[in-house]
Amino acid sequence: MSATTLPAAPARPRARRLASWLDNERTLGLLLVAPVVILLAALVAYPFFTAIRSALSDQTLADAGEFVGLDNFANLFQDDIYLRALRNTLVYTAASVVAKLVLGLALALLLNETFPFRRLVRAAVLLPWIVPTVLGTMAWLWMFNPNFSVLNWVLTNIFGLRGLPWLTDPALAMVSVITVNVWRGTPFLGITVLAALQSIPPDLYDASAIDGANKLQRFRYVTLPLVMPVLLTALVLSTIWTFSDFGVVYGLTQGGPMNATHVLATLAFRTGLTAGQIGEGAAISLTMLPLLLVLIVWQLRRIRRSAVA
Amino acid sequence: MTPPRTPVLGRRSLLAAGAALPLLARPAIAQNSLKGTKLTILAGSWYVPENNTQLDQLAAEVSKDTGMEVRVERFAGDELGTKVASVIGTGRGADLGVGVEFDTYLYAPKLLDVTDLAEEIGKQYGGWFDVARAACMVDGRWKSLCIGQAPAAWNYRTDMFAAAGVDKFPDTFDELLVAAKKLHAKGTPIGMTLGHASGDARSTNYPVLWAFGGKEFEADGKTVAINSPETIAATEWYAECFKYMDPGVTAWLDPDNNQAFLAGKCSATINVNTIYLAARAAAPTDPVKKNIVENMNHGLWPKGPAGRYANYNINVWLPFAASPNPEGQKAFLRAWYSKNFLPNWTKTGQSYFIPTFAGFDAMDVWPDDPKLKIFRELNKLNRLAGYAGPPSPAAAEAVSKYVLVDMFAKACTGQMKPAEAVKWAERQYDQIAKKRRA
Repeated sequence: MSATTLPAAPARPRARRLASWLDNERTLGLLLVAPVVILLAALVAYPFFTAIRSALSDQTLADAGEFVGLDNFANLFQDDIYLRALRNTLVYTAASVVAKLVLGLALALLLNETFPFRRLVRAAVLLPWIVPTVLGTMAWLWMFNPNFSVLNWVLTNIFGLRGLPWLTDPALAMVSVITVNVWRGTPFLGITVLAALQSIPPDLYDASAIDGANKLQRFRYVTLPLVMPVLLTALVLSTIWTFSDFGVVYGLTQGGPMNATHVLATLAFRTGLTAGQIGEGAAISLTMLPLLLVLIVWQLRRIRRSAVA
Repeated sequence: MTPPRTPVLGRRSLLAAGAALPLLARPAIAQNSLKGTKLTILAGSWYVPENNTQLDQLAAEVSKDTGMEVRVERFAGDELGTKVASVIGTGRGADLGVGVEFDTYLYAPKLLDVTDLAEEIGKQYGGWFDVARAACMVDGRWKSLCIGQAPAAWNYRTDMFAAAGVDKFPDTFDELLVAAKKLHAKGTPIGMTLGHASGDARSTNYPVLWAFGGKEFEADGKTVAINSPETIAATEWYAECFKYMDPGVTAWLDPDNNQAFLAGKCSATINVNTIYLAARAAAPTDPVKKNIVENMNHGLWPKGPAGRYANYNINVWLPFAASPNPEGQKAFLRAWYSKNFLPNWTKTGQSYFIPTFAGFDAMDVWPDDPKLKIFRELNKLNRLAGYAGPPSPAAAEAVSKYVLVDMFAKACTGQMKPAEAVKWAERQYDQIAKKRRA
């Protein structure tokens, strides 16, 4: 064996060792999963556990604080503003999601029909979803503006009615923020359900028509069961996003008037960052967790069941 | 009339100022010591654009003179506060920032002690006003330096007042109520911001509380004092006056009173000079704005049973303690407070910020426009939220939760009777204070 071949000799066993190591399914699996685990740990787990640690302390922006146990949570449930924000969040989420479900389904059925410029219209309805929240909210803010509401101009000058206090009246302010959320979120539900509608084989409709099913029956017994898995997924995602929504309320009312539209996300921001009470702000955020957790666990179990099936 | 152009600052002029002023002539700011260092400044956008340009020019001049790389990062509106909070929280991202008075109290442990510098600067201009000391000192140490007070005054339409039979701006709250009734009858109501507006809400509502003798806290800053006959009287006055306002005020955010006034929908409101400056800038080409400029003026807050008070937003320089460049921070602040820069900057703002030094009274820093003269008198009226206690994290939290604003709004809209609204506010204050006492 010549001297020049000597250095190459140990490389082969090393390569073989690496190959056999990678041949091990368990090792390869861990290696492939590692990047995702590291990313999730850095971007989800670390902030999550930091939030829990903060919520159990009296931490402020300038002071690491001390452990206070569940004091922050106990204080929250005696706080009128927090309880109001909690109630607002539930109303905001329930009303928005129901409206988005009905309108999204209707939109999908409409877009599934054949009509001129169908592709253009399908692209156009996505605009509210694509436009950044801040821009969309600013446009609505002008429409609801207490001084120059274009909606009130239409009500007054075209319909001869009185203008409405869109953002002034507490109940109507809530209706206004829900309206903007629905306007923004409906296209997502619509387009998602439309995709599901288009995957339904036309034969099923033909067969049901031959069996004498009318339009309503075809929707009830063919369309709805087949779009249901997609619809439920979209619904759960929409509920999670609405429950934790910040931009629409912050942009339109900053939680006013008189906290009538404060939701947990805006209150957590105000408490944690504006007032510097990081511990209390984190506690407010974490009270969103139970409902979100139920939804996420339910959704994951559903996905797993459908994967097994 | 357009606002005066910004005088251009030259390197030589700054150096000349340095020679004349001990503040700038310190050998500690010699080029070599700061060469290779960096200074990042967080700033917002001040209303008068020339004021922003002046800051940029100063940053460039300080860079040139010291060898330090100075960079100004701008953030719009509330974003600046969020960015400052993140720098405080992480200890990274900037060396200096523009904040508001409460930031000094909220972030004191994370701010550099600049007491020596503050005393030097104070001497230079005849001493800081008490309000600057209150806004910038924590436990006897300067933790920030006051940039200026944005004085809110009553902006009112002289033509609408005259048409309603009100010949001068009301001097008492009783007179203001009478005027409000007359103006409402003429279809030109007054408007006081009762929405969650981060700036205008407190400059509009705290003075009403104080004028009637109400206060949030006792002098110890811990004992809640909001529930008093004086606060109830203030709330009753407000609820009565609200009947003669546009009900839309409960949803007003910061721009809304400006818009209502400029659209002729509102005859009087509380604001800094930005309504007037905007109208004056547009007047040469816009007859409506020209009419507003000719028919508006500014008035002092009326006197209440306990006196005449005001509340202004204060801007401060926050020197972040985590900065690796404390010498750079001080070098920049010395340049900012130099006599070659600060008086020019103040004059350019035309009282958008009024200074916080006694010595400025005799200096040429005041606007020449007679309709802006009143801002010179506003220094003495300012009180900080938290009165009768010092500004504190508890007072800051009450401001951020709009407790006082919502107390008035609940009574005004009939959601609660005045005494009930005050009781509601007391519960909020108690809870806020309890957290600090624990």
